[in-house]
Amino acid sequence: MTVKKLVKTIFMTEILKGMALTLKMMFTHAVTRQYPKEKHPAMPGFRGLHALTRNAETGEARCVGCGLCAAVCPSQCIKIYTADSPDHKKIVERYEIEVLRCVYCGFCVEACPYAAVALTEHYEYSDYTREAFYMTKDKLLSNYDKYMGREKDQEYFARFWHPTSDDYRTPEDQPVFRGRNPQ
Amino acid sequence: MNLLEQIFGPGSLDLLLTMALMLLKIVVVIGALMLHVTYATYFERKTIGHMQVTMGPMTTGWHGLLQPIADFIKLFFKEDIIPAEADKPVFFVAPIIAVFAAMASIAVIPFFDGFVIANINIGLLFILAMSSLGSYGVIMGGWAANSKYSFLGGLRSSAQVVSYEISMGLSLVGIMMLSGSLNVTEIVKAQEPYPFHMFLFSFPNFPQVIAFFVFIVSAFAETNRTPFDLPEAESELVAGYFTEYSGMRFGLFFVAEYIGMIIMACIATTCFLGGWSAPIPIPFVPPLFWFIIKVYFIIFLYYWIRATVPRYRYDHLMSLGWKVLIPLALANIIITGIVKVIL
Repeated sequence: MTVKKLVKTIFMTEILKGMALTLKMMFTHAVTRQYPKEKHPAMPGFRGLHALTRNAETGEARCVGCGLCAAVCPSQCIKIYTADSPDHKKIVERYEIEVLRCVYCGFCVEACPYAAVALTEHYEYSDYTREAFYMTKDKLLSNYDKYMGREKDQEYFARFWHPTSDDYRTPEDQPVFRGRNPQ
Repeated sequence: MNLLEQIFGPGSLDLLLTMALMLLKIVVVIGALMLHVTYATYFERKTIGHMQVTMGPMTTGWHGLLQPIADFIKLFFKEDIIPAEADKPVFFVAPIIAVFAAMASIAVIPFFDGFVIANINIGLLFILAMSSLGSYGVIMGGWAANSKYSFLGGLRSSAQVVSYEISMGLSLVGIMMLSGSLNVTEIVKAQEPYPFHMFLFSFPNFPQVIAFFVFIVSAFAETNRTPFDLPEAESELVAGYFTEYSGMRFGLFFVAEYIGMIIMACIATTCFLGGWSAPIPIPFVPPLFWFIIKVYFIIFLYYWIRATVPRYRYDHLMSLGWKVLIPLALANIIITGIVKVIL
Protein backbone atom coordinates (compact mmCIF):
# COMPACT_ATOMS: atom_id res chain seq x y z
CA MET A 1 0.00 0.00 0.00
CA THR A 2 1.50 3.28 -1.06
CA VAL A 3 1.47 6.33 1.19
CA LYS A 4 -1.03 8.06 -1.08
CA LYS A 5 -3.43 5.15 -0.87
CA LEU A 6 -3.02 4.98 2.89
CA VAL A 7 -3.85 8.67 3.27
CA LYS A 8 -6.87 8.18 1.02
CA THR A 9 -8.09 5.29 3.17
CA ILE A 10 -7.58 7.07 6.47
CA PHE A 11 -9.32 10.28 5.48
CA MET A 12 -12.01 8.41 3.47
CA THR A 13 -11.60 10.73 0.51
CA GLU A 14 -13.95 8.69 -1.62
CA ILE A 15 -16.81 8.91 0.86
CA LEU A 16 -16.16 12.63 1.25
CA LYS A 17 -16.27 13.05 -2.53
CA GLY A 18 -19.59 11.22 -2.61
CA MET A 19 -20.93 13.40 0.18
CA ALA A 20 -19.84 16.53 -1.69
CA LEU A 21 -21.73 15.28 -4.72
CA THR A 22 -24.93 14.55 -2.80
CA LEU A 23 -24.76 17.94 -1.11
CA LYS A 24 -24.30 19.63 -4.47
CA MET A 25 -27.26 17.70 -5.87
CA MET A 26 -29.41 18.86 -2.97
CA PHE A 27 -29.27 22.40 -4.29
CA THR A 28 -30.07 21.58 -7.90
CA HIS A 29 -33.59 21.62 -9.28
CA ALA A 30 -35.59 18.44 -8.90
CA VAL A 31 -36.38 16.58 -12.09
CA THR A 32 -39.78 15.47 -10.77
CA ARG A 33 -42.81 16.33 -12.88
CA GLN A 34 -45.82 16.65 -10.57
CA TYR A 35 -48.10 14.77 -12.89
CA PRO A 36 -51.72 15.61 -12.14
CA LYS A 37 -50.79 19.26 -11.60
CA GLU A 38 -48.36 19.74 -14.45
CA LYS A 39 -49.08 17.67 -17.51
CA HIS A 40 -46.56 16.96 -20.16
CA PRO A 41 -47.91 17.79 -23.62
CA ALA A 42 -48.01 14.76 -25.89
CA MET A 43 -45.21 14.69 -28.44
CA PRO A 44 -46.26 15.09 -32.08
CA GLY A 45 -47.26 11.73 -33.50
CA PHE A 46 -48.15 10.35 -30.07
CA ARG A 47 -50.31 7.23 -30.26
CA GLY A 48 -53.15 7.70 -27.79
CA LEU A 49 -56.90 7.11 -27.82
CA HIS A 50 -58.48 5.99 -31.11
CA ALA A 51 -60.73 8.13 -33.26
CA LEU A 52 -62.58 7.86 -36.56
CA THR A 53 -61.87 10.93 -38.67
CA ARG A 54 -64.61 12.90 -40.39
CA ASN A 55 -64.75 13.86 -44.00
CA ALA A 56 -64.09 17.58 -44.20
CA GLU A 57 -66.95 18.25 -46.66
CA THR A 58 -69.74 15.93 -45.56
CA GLY A 59 -68.92 15.57 -41.87
CA GLU A 60 -69.46 11.82 -42.16
CA ALA A 61 -66.88 9.22 -41.19
CA ARG A 62 -64.22 8.75 -43.86
CA CYS A 63 -64.26 5.00 -43.35
CA VAL A 64 -65.43 2.98 -46.35
CA GLY A 65 -65.44 -0.36 -44.57
CA CYS A 66 -62.69 -2.01 -46.60
CA GLY A 67 -61.53 -3.94 -43.52
CA LEU A 68 -57.80 -3.43 -44.06
CA CYS A 69 -57.31 -2.11 -40.53
CA ALA A 70 -59.10 -5.12 -39.06
CA ALA A 71 -56.98 -7.42 -41.22
CA VAL A 72 -53.68 -5.85 -40.21
CA CYS A 73 -54.48 -5.45 -36.52
CA PRO A 74 -52.11 -7.78 -34.58
CA SER A 75 -54.34 -7.98 -31.51
CA GLN A 76 -57.49 -8.28 -33.64
CA CYS A 77 -59.39 -5.69 -31.69
CA ILE A 78 -61.15 -3.98 -34.61
CA LYS A 79 -64.54 -5.25 -35.71
CA ILE A 80 -66.27 -3.89 -38.84
CA TYR A 81 -69.78 -4.74 -39.99
CA THR A 82 -70.85 -3.40 -43.36
CA ALA A 83 -74.30 -3.46 -44.97
CA ASP A 84 -76.06 -2.59 -48.19
CA SER A 85 -77.97 0.70 -48.17
CA PRO A 86 -81.30 1.15 -50.04
CA ASP A 87 -79.46 2.94 -52.88
CA HIS A 88 -76.95 0.06 -53.07
CA LYS A 89 -74.04 1.83 -51.47
CA LYS A 90 -71.78 0.06 -49.03
CA ILE A 91 -72.33 1.55 -45.62
CA VAL A 92 -70.36 0.92 -42.41
CA GLU A 93 -72.97 -0.22 -39.96
CA ARG A 94 -70.72 -0.79 -36.99
CA TYR A 95 -67.07 0.05 -36.43
CA GLU A 96 -65.84 -1.09 -33.03
CA ILE A 97 -62.47 -1.05 -31.31
CA GLU A 98 -61.78 -2.88 -28.08
CA VAL A 99 -59.30 -0.41 -26.59
CA LEU A 100 -58.21 -2.70 -23.77
CA ARG A 101 -56.83 -5.20 -26.30
CA CYS A 102 -55.13 -2.61 -28.48
CA VAL A 103 -51.32 -2.53 -28.40
CA TYR A 104 -51.07 0.94 -29.98
CA CYS A 105 -48.86 -0.24 -32.83
CA GLY A 106 -50.54 2.16 -35.25
CA PHE A 107 -50.75 -0.44 -38.06
CA CYS A 108 -54.44 0.40 -38.60
CA VAL A 109 -53.59 4.04 -39.29
CA GLU A 110 -50.80 3.00 -41.59
CA ALA A 111 -52.96 0.52 -43.46
CA CYS A 112 -55.95 2.81 -43.97
CA PRO A 113 -56.00 4.16 -47.55
CA TYR A 114 -58.28 7.09 -46.63
CA ALA A 115 -56.82 8.20 -43.29
CA ALA A 116 -60.10 7.23 -41.69
CA VAL A 117 -58.76 5.96 -38.38
CA ALA A 118 -56.41 7.94 -36.18
CA LEU A 119 -54.68 7.75 -32.82
CA THR A 120 -55.25 11.03 -30.98
CA GLU A 121 -52.93 12.68 -28.47
CA HIS A 122 -55.36 12.05 -25.62
CA TYR A 123 -53.95 9.62 -23.07
CA GLU A 124 -55.90 10.16 -19.82
CA TYR A 125 -58.92 7.93 -20.24
CA SER A 126 -58.85 5.52 -17.33
CA ASP A 127 -62.22 4.32 -16.14
CA TYR A 128 -63.84 1.89 -13.74
CA THR A 129 -65.73 -0.32 -16.21
CA ARG A 130 -64.66 -2.37 -19.21
CA GLU A 131 -67.65 -1.08 -21.18
CA ALA A 132 -66.14 2.39 -21.18
CA PHE A 133 -63.24 1.07 -23.22
CA TYR A 134 -65.39 -0.60 -25.84
CA MET A 135 -65.44 2.05 -28.56
CA THR A 136 -68.43 2.13 -30.89
CA LYS A 137 -68.60 4.19 -34.08
CA ASP A 138 -70.34 7.11 -32.34
CA LYS A 139 -67.83 7.19 -29.54
CA LEU A 140 -64.94 7.10 -31.99
CA LEU A 141 -66.41 9.97 -33.99
CA SER A 142 -66.91 12.02 -30.83
CA ASN A 143 -63.29 11.27 -29.87
CA TYR A 144 -62.31 12.85 -33.16
CA ASP A 145 -64.35 15.94 -32.41
CA LYS A 146 -62.92 16.24 -28.90
CA TYR A 147 -59.26 15.46 -29.36
CA MET A 148 -58.35 15.71 -33.00
CA GLY A 149 -59.92 18.80 -34.62
CA ARG A 150 -59.55 19.52 -38.29
CA GLU A 151 -56.26 21.44 -38.34
CA LYS A 152 -54.57 19.04 -36.02
CA ASP A 153 -55.90 16.20 -38.15
CA GLN A 154 -54.38 17.65 -41.34
CA GLU A 155 -51.00 18.17 -39.72
CA TYR A 156 -51.07 14.79 -38.05
CA PHE A 157 -51.71 12.84 -41.23
CA ALA A 158 -49.43 14.97 -43.38
CA ARG A 159 -46.49 14.62 -41.04
CA PHE A 160 -46.78 11.18 -39.55
CA TRP A 161 -49.14 8.85 -41.34
CA HIS A 162 -49.57 10.02 -44.91
CA PRO A 163 -52.53 7.97 -46.20
CA THR A 164 -51.51 5.49 -48.90
CA SER A 165 -54.22 6.75 -51.24
CA ASP A 166 -52.10 9.89 -51.63
CA ASP A 167 -49.26 7.85 -53.11
CA TYR A 168 -51.39 6.33 -55.83
CA ARG A 169 -53.47 9.38 -56.70
CA THR A 170 -53.38 10.26 -60.38
CA PRO A 171 -51.34 13.40 -60.99
CA GLU A 172 -53.55 16.41 -61.74
CA ASP A 173 -52.00 16.98 -65.18
CA GLN A 174 -52.53 13.43 -66.40
CA PRO A 175 -55.53 13.01 -68.77
CA VAL A 176 -57.73 10.28 -67.32
CA PHE A 177 -61.43 9.58 -66.96
CA ARG A 178 -62.51 11.61 -63.92
CA GLY A 179 -66.21 10.65 -63.79
CA ARG A 180 -69.15 11.94 -65.74
CA ASN A 181 -69.14 15.50 -64.35
CA PRO A 182 -65.62 16.47 -63.37
CA GLN A 183 -65.45 19.63 -61.30
CA MET B 1 -51.02 25.70 52.40
CA ASN B 2 -50.54 25.09 56.10
CA LEU B 3 -53.12 22.36 55.93
CA LEU B 4 -50.93 20.45 53.48
CA GLU B 5 -47.91 20.66 55.78
CA GLN B 6 -50.03 19.63 58.72
CA ILE B 7 -51.26 16.51 56.96
CA PHE B 8 -48.11 15.36 55.19
CA GLY B 9 -45.49 16.80 57.51
CA PRO B 10 -43.05 19.69 57.10
CA GLY B 11 -41.43 20.24 53.68
CA SER B 12 -44.19 18.48 51.79
CA LEU B 13 -45.08 21.72 49.98
CA ASP B 14 -41.56 22.01 48.60
CA LEU B 15 -41.67 18.40 47.53
CA LEU B 16 -44.98 18.92 45.80
CA LEU B 17 -43.67 21.99 43.97
CA THR B 18 -40.53 20.15 42.88
CA MET B 19 -42.61 17.27 41.60
CA ALA B 20 -44.92 19.60 39.70
CA LEU B 21 -41.94 21.38 38.14
CA MET B 22 -40.39 18.05 37.21
CA LEU B 23 -43.63 16.89 35.64
CA LEU B 24 -43.90 20.13 33.67
CA LYS B 25 -40.32 19.67 32.43
CA ILE B 26 -41.07 16.09 31.38
CA VAL B 27 -44.21 17.16 29.50
CA VAL B 28 -42.35 19.94 27.70
CA VAL B 29 -39.40 17.74 26.79
CA ILE B 30 -41.48 14.76 25.65
CA GLY B 31 -43.76 17.04 23.65
CA ALA B 32 -40.85 18.72 21.92
CA LEU B 33 -39.21 15.34 21.35
CA MET B 34 -42.29 13.78 19.77
CA LEU B 35 -42.71 16.82 17.53
CA HIS B 36 -39.10 16.46 16.48
CA VAL B 37 -39.59 12.76 15.80
CA THR B 38 -42.59 13.39 13.53
CA TYR B 39 -40.85 16.11 11.61
CA ALA B 40 -37.54 14.24 11.53
CA THR B 41 -39.25 11.76 9.20
CA TYR B 42 -40.46 14.61 6.99
CA PHE B 43 -37.06 16.28 7.03
CA GLU B 44 -35.40 12.97 6.17
CA ARG B 45 -37.66 12.32 3.19
CA LYS B 46 -37.20 15.87 1.93
CA THR B 47 -33.41 15.82 2.34
CA ILE B 48 -32.93 12.45 0.73
CA GLY B 49 -35.42 13.35 -2.00
CA HIS B 50 -33.57 16.50 -2.91
CA MET B 51 -30.22 14.71 -2.79
CA GLN B 52 -31.66 12.26 -5.31
CA VAL B 53 -32.88 15.21 -7.44
CA THR B 54 -36.53 14.43 -6.64
CA MET B 55 -38.91 16.35 -4.39
CA GLY B 56 -39.97 14.16 -1.49
CA PRO B 57 -43.53 14.48 -0.14
CA MET B 58 -45.40 17.29 -1.90
CA THR B 59 -49.15 16.65 -1.83
CA THR B 60 -50.29 16.63 1.83
CA GLY B 61 -50.32 20.26 2.86
CA TRP B 62 -47.99 22.95 1.55
CA HIS B 63 -44.89 21.12 0.25
CA GLY B 64 -46.08 18.01 2.10
CA LEU B 65 -45.82 19.63 5.53
CA LEU B 66 -48.75 17.62 6.92
CA GLN B 67 -47.33 14.31 5.68
CA PRO B 68 -45.97 13.13 9.07
CA ILE B 69 -49.36 13.83 10.70
CA ALA B 70 -51.13 11.90 7.94
CA ASP B 71 -48.66 9.05 8.43
CA PHE B 72 -49.32 9.04 12.15
CA ILE B 73 -53.09 8.94 11.67
CA LYS B 74 -52.73 6.12 9.18
CA LEU B 75 -50.50 4.10 11.51
CA PHE B 76 -52.79 4.72 14.45
CA PHE B 77 -55.93 3.46 12.74
CA LYS B 78 -54.34 0.56 10.91
CA GLU B 79 -55.37 -2.97 11.81
CA ASP B 80 -53.09 -4.47 14.42
CA ILE B 81 -52.11 -7.90 13.09
CA ILE B 82 -50.58 -10.42 15.48
CA PRO B 83 -49.13 -13.60 13.96
CA ALA B 84 -50.91 -16.77 15.13
CA GLU B 85 -47.66 -18.43 16.20
CA ALA B 86 -46.31 -15.35 17.98
CA ASP B 87 -45.15 -15.40 21.58
CA LYS B 88 -47.80 -12.89 22.57
CA PRO B 89 -46.59 -11.35 25.86
CA VAL B 90 -43.10 -10.84 24.44
CA PHE B 91 -44.60 -9.58 21.21
CA PHE B 92 -46.60 -6.94 23.10
CA VAL B 93 -43.83 -5.85 25.41
CA ALA B 94 -40.99 -5.54 22.86
CA PRO B 95 -41.98 -2.23 21.24
CA ILE B 96 -42.74 -0.75 24.66
CA ILE B 97 -39.24 -1.62 25.88
CA ALA B 98 -37.72 -0.12 22.74
CA VAL B 99 -39.58 3.17 23.16
CA PHE B 100 -39.09 3.31 26.92
CA ALA B 101 -35.36 2.75 26.70
CA ALA B 102 -35.01 5.37 24.00
CA MET B 103 -37.11 7.94 25.84
CA ALA B 104 -35.46 7.42 29.23
CA SER B 105 -32.10 8.60 27.92
CA ILE B 106 -33.45 12.07 27.18
CA ALA B 107 -33.81 12.62 30.95
CA VAL B 108 -30.11 13.31 31.48
CA ILE B 109 -29.52 15.55 28.45
CA PRO B 110 -29.08 19.21 29.42
CA PHE B 111 -30.71 21.42 26.80
CA PHE B 112 -29.30 24.58 28.29
CA ASP B 113 -27.73 25.55 31.60
CA GLY B 114 -29.96 24.23 34.35
CA PHE B 115 -32.64 22.70 32.13
CA VAL B 116 -32.28 18.99 32.58
CA ILE B 117 -34.91 16.58 33.86
CA ALA B 118 -32.54 14.52 36.00
CA ASN B 119 -29.15 16.03 36.79
CA ILE B 120 -27.54 12.76 37.90
CA ASN B 121 -23.84 12.16 38.38
CA ILE B 122 -23.66 9.07 36.18
CA GLY B 123 -25.37 10.64 33.18
CA LEU B 124 -23.17 9.14 30.48
CA LEU B 125 -23.30 5.67 32.01
CA PHE B 126 -27.08 5.97 32.22
CA ILE B 127 -27.29 6.79 28.52
CA LEU B 128 -25.03 3.87 27.59
CA ALA B 129 -27.09 1.54 29.78
CA MET B 130 -30.34 2.71 28.22
CA SER B 131 -29.04 2.33 24.69
CA SER B 132 -28.05 -1.27 25.44
CA LEU B 133 -31.45 -1.84 27.01
CA GLY B 134 -33.04 -0.67 23.77
CA SER B 135 -31.51 -3.59 21.93
CA TYR B 136 -33.57 -5.92 24.17
CA GLY B 137 -36.69 -4.54 22.54
CA VAL B 138 -35.21 -5.30 19.15
CA ILE B 139 -34.12 -8.83 20.07
CA MET B 140 -37.43 -9.62 21.76
CA GLY B 141 -39.38 -8.24 18.82
CA GLY B 142 -37.35 -10.38 16.46
CA TRP B 143 -37.83 -13.49 18.60
CA ALA B 144 -41.50 -13.10 19.46
CA ALA B 145 -42.88 -12.84 15.93
CA ASN B 146 -41.74 -16.40 15.13
CA SER B 147 -40.75 -15.38 11.63
CA LYS B 148 -37.37 -16.16 10.09
CA TYR B 149 -36.91 -12.63 8.79
CA SER B 150 -37.62 -11.03 12.14
CA PHE B 151 -35.41 -13.55 13.88
CA LEU B 152 -32.45 -12.96 11.57
CA GLY B 153 -32.97 -9.22 11.88
CA GLY B 154 -33.01 -9.45 15.65
CA LEU B 155 -29.86 -11.60 15.72
CA ARG B 156 -28.02 -9.26 13.42
CA SER B 157 -29.09 -6.29 15.45
CA SER B 158 -27.93 -7.82 18.73
CA ALA B 159 -24.53 -8.74 17.28
CA GLN B 160 -24.14 -5.28 15.82
CA VAL B 161 -25.22 -3.39 18.91
CA VAL B 162 -22.96 -5.47 21.16
CA SER B 163 -19.95 -4.84 18.89
CA TYR B 164 -20.48 -1.15 18.45
CA GLU B 165 -21.45 -0.37 22.01
CA ILE B 166 -17.88 -1.12 23.07
CA SER B 167 -16.34 1.34 20.67
CA MET B 168 -18.97 3.92 21.54
CA GLY B 169 -18.30 3.57 25.25
CA LEU B 170 -14.54 3.70 24.70
CA SER B 171 -14.81 6.79 22.50
CA LEU B 172 -16.50 8.62 25.36
CA VAL B 173 -13.73 7.69 27.83
CA GLY B 174 -11.50 10.47 26.47
CA ILE B 175 -14.28 12.94 27.20
CA MET B 176 -14.64 11.59 30.74
CA MET B 177 -10.89 11.93 31.28
CA LEU B 178 -10.78 15.52 30.05
CA SER B 179 -13.82 16.65 31.99
CA GLY B 180 -13.26 14.46 35.04
CA SER B 181 -16.99 13.83 35.38
CA LEU B 182 -19.81 11.63 34.14
CA ASN B 183 -22.41 14.32 34.72
CA VAL B 184 -23.46 15.61 31.32
CA THR B 185 -23.91 19.19 32.54
CA GLU B 186 -20.40 19.11 34.02
CA ILE B 187 -19.05 17.79 30.73
CA VAL B 188 -20.55 20.71 28.84
CA LYS B 189 -19.15 23.17 31.37
CA ALA B 190 -15.70 21.56 31.16
CA GLN B 191 -15.53 22.50 27.48
CA GLU B 192 -15.58 26.24 28.20
CA PRO B 193 -11.78 26.84 28.14
CA TYR B 194 -11.22 25.28 24.72
CA PRO B 195 -11.49 26.87 21.25
CA PHE B 196 -15.14 27.10 20.11
CA HIS B 197 -16.02 25.64 23.55
CA MET B 198 -15.73 22.16 22.07
CA PHE B 199 -13.87 19.02 23.10
CA LEU B 200 -13.51 18.47 19.36
CA PHE B 201 -10.73 21.11 19.38
CA SER B 202 -9.48 20.63 22.92
CA PHE B 203 -6.03 22.21 22.55
CA PRO B 204 -3.55 21.98 24.20
CA ASN B 205 -5.01 18.67 25.39
CA PHE B 206 -5.36 16.01 22.75
CA PRO B 207 -8.28 17.07 20.50
CA GLN B 208 -11.03 14.48 20.50
CA VAL B 209 -11.35 14.30 16.71
CA ILE B 210 -10.68 10.57 16.56
CA ALA B 211 -13.11 9.95 19.38
CA PHE B 212 -15.72 12.04 17.58
CA PHE B 213 -15.26 10.02 14.40
CA VAL B 214 -15.49 6.72 16.30
CA PHE B 215 -18.52 7.97 18.19
CA ILE B 216 -20.36 9.08 15.07
CA VAL B 217 -19.72 5.80 13.24
CA SER B 218 -20.74 3.77 16.31
CA ALA B 219 -23.84 5.92 16.75
CA PHE B 220 -24.85 5.15 13.17
CA ALA B 221 -24.42 1.44 13.84
CA GLU B 222 -26.10 1.65 17.24
CA THR B 223 -29.23 3.25 15.83
CA ASN B 224 -29.28 0.84 12.85
CA ARG B 225 -28.95 3.61 10.30
CA THR B 226 -27.47 3.35 6.83
CA PRO B 227 -24.74 2.34 6.01
CA PHE B 228 -25.09 -0.08 8.95
CA ASP B 229 -28.80 -0.87 8.61
CA LEU B 230 -28.25 -4.61 8.19
CA PRO B 231 -30.85 -5.54 10.85
CA GLU B 232 -33.50 -4.11 8.55
CA ALA B 233 -31.88 -4.81 5.20
CA GLU B 234 -34.91 -4.62 2.91
CA SER B 235 -33.46 -6.72 0.12
CA GLU B 236 -32.74 -9.70 2.36
CA LEU B 237 -34.94 -9.43 5.43
CA VAL B 238 -38.10 -7.61 4.27
CA ALA B 239 -38.02 -5.16 7.18
CA GLY B 240 -35.81 -6.94 9.73
CA TYR B 241 -36.93 -7.36 13.30
CA PHE B 242 -40.28 -5.56 12.87
CA THR B 243 -41.37 -7.45 9.76
CA GLU B 244 -44.41 -8.92 11.52
CA TYR B 245 -45.40 -5.75 13.34
CA SER B 246 -48.11 -3.52 11.97
CA GLY B 247 -50.13 -0.50 12.95
CA MET B 248 -49.18 1.35 16.10
CA ARG B 249 -46.77 -1.34 17.32
CA PHE B 250 -44.72 -0.83 14.20
CA GLY B 251 -45.08 2.90 14.84
CA LEU B 252 -43.56 2.49 18.29
CA PHE B 253 -40.45 0.79 16.86
CA PHE B 254 -40.27 3.55 14.31
CA VAL B 255 -40.52 6.23 16.99
CA ALA B 256 -37.87 4.41 19.05
CA GLU B 257 -35.49 4.45 16.10
CA TYR B 258 -35.91 8.17 15.57
CA ILE B 259 -35.68 8.99 19.26
CA GLY B 260 -32.47 6.93 19.33
CA MET B 261 -31.13 9.05 16.49
CA ILE B 262 -32.00 12.27 18.30
CA ILE B 263 -30.46 10.98 21.54
CA MET B 264 -27.23 10.09 19.76
CA ALA B 265 -27.18 13.54 18.16
CA CYS B 266 -27.72 15.07 21.63
CA ILE B 267 -24.82 13.09 23.11
CA ALA B 268 -22.53 14.06 20.24
CA THR B 269 -23.56 17.67 20.80
CA THR B 270 -23.07 17.69 24.54
CA CYS B 271 -19.88 15.64 24.63
CA PHE B 272 -18.02 16.83 21.55
CA LEU B 273 -19.60 20.01 20.22
CA GLY B 274 -19.97 21.94 23.44
CA GLY B 275 -23.68 21.57 24.13
CA TRP B 276 -25.48 24.87 24.55
CA SER B 277 -22.37 27.09 24.54
CA ALA B 278 -21.96 29.35 21.55
CA PRO B 279 -18.96 28.55 19.31
CA ILE B 280 -19.04 32.10 17.94
CA PRO B 281 -20.23 34.76 20.40
CA ILE B 282 -23.31 36.39 18.88
CA PRO B 283 -25.35 38.57 21.26
CA PHE B 284 -29.05 37.89 21.97
CA VAL B 285 -28.92 34.31 20.72
CA PRO B 286 -30.28 31.96 23.41
CA PRO B 287 -28.16 28.95 24.41
CA LEU B 288 -31.00 26.59 23.43
CA PHE B 289 -30.64 27.79 19.85
CA TRP B 290 -27.01 26.68 19.70
CA PHE B 291 -27.88 23.32 21.19
CA ILE B 292 -30.66 22.75 18.66
CA ILE B 293 -28.55 23.90 15.73
CA LYS B 294 -25.81 21.44 16.66
CA VAL B 295 -28.30 18.59 17.11
CA TYR B 296 -29.90 19.39 13.74
CA PHE B 297 -26.49 19.34 12.11
CA ILE B 298 -25.79 15.83 13.41
CA ILE B 299 -29.25 14.66 12.32
CA PHE B 300 -28.63 16.17 8.90
CA LEU B 301 -25.36 14.23 8.83
CA TYR B 302 -27.36 11.03 9.37
CA TYR B 303 -29.50 11.80 6.32
CA TRP B 304 -26.55 12.97 4.29
CA ILE B 305 -24.69 9.73 4.92
CA ARG B 306 -27.84 7.73 4.18
CA ALA B 307 -28.17 9.40 0.79
CA THR B 308 -24.50 8.81 -0.02
CA VAL B 309 -23.08 5.57 1.35
CA PRO B 310 -24.42 2.14 0.35
CA ARG B 311 -25.01 -0.61 2.90
CA TYR B 312 -22.00 -2.52 4.29
CA ARG B 313 -21.51 -6.23 3.91
CA TYR B 314 -22.02 -8.05 7.20
CA ASP B 315 -18.43 -9.28 7.68
CA HIS B 316 -17.12 -5.82 6.73
CA LEU B 317 -19.38 -4.33 9.36
CA MET B 318 -18.01 -6.64 12.05
CA SER B 319 -14.39 -6.18 11.01
CA LEU B 320 -14.84 -2.40 10.95
CA GLY B 321 -16.22 -2.47 14.48
CA TRP B 322 -13.68 -4.80 16.02
CA LYS B 323 -10.54 -4.18 13.98
CA VAL B 324 -10.74 -0.44 13.30
CA LEU B 325 -13.01 1.42 15.68
CA ILE B 326 -12.08 -0.30 18.96
CA PRO B 327 -8.30 0.03 18.39
CA LEU B 328 -8.82 3.66 17.36
CA ALA B 329 -10.82 4.37 20.50
CA LEU B 330 -8.21 2.64 22.67
CA ALA B 331 -5.41 4.62 21.01
CA ASN B 332 -7.37 7.80 21.65
CA ILE B 333 -7.67 6.92 25.34
CA ILE B 334 -3.94 6.25 25.67
CA ILE B 335 -2.86 9.39 23.82
CA THR B 336 -5.34 11.58 25.68
CA GLY B 337 -4.16 10.14 28.98
CA ILE B 338 -0.46 10.65 28.17
CA VAL B 339 -1.00 14.22 26.97
CA LYS B 340 -3.05 15.04 30.04
CA VAL B 341 -0.41 13.62 32.38
CA ILE B 342 2.37 15.54 30.64
CA LEU B 343 0.51 18.85 30.82
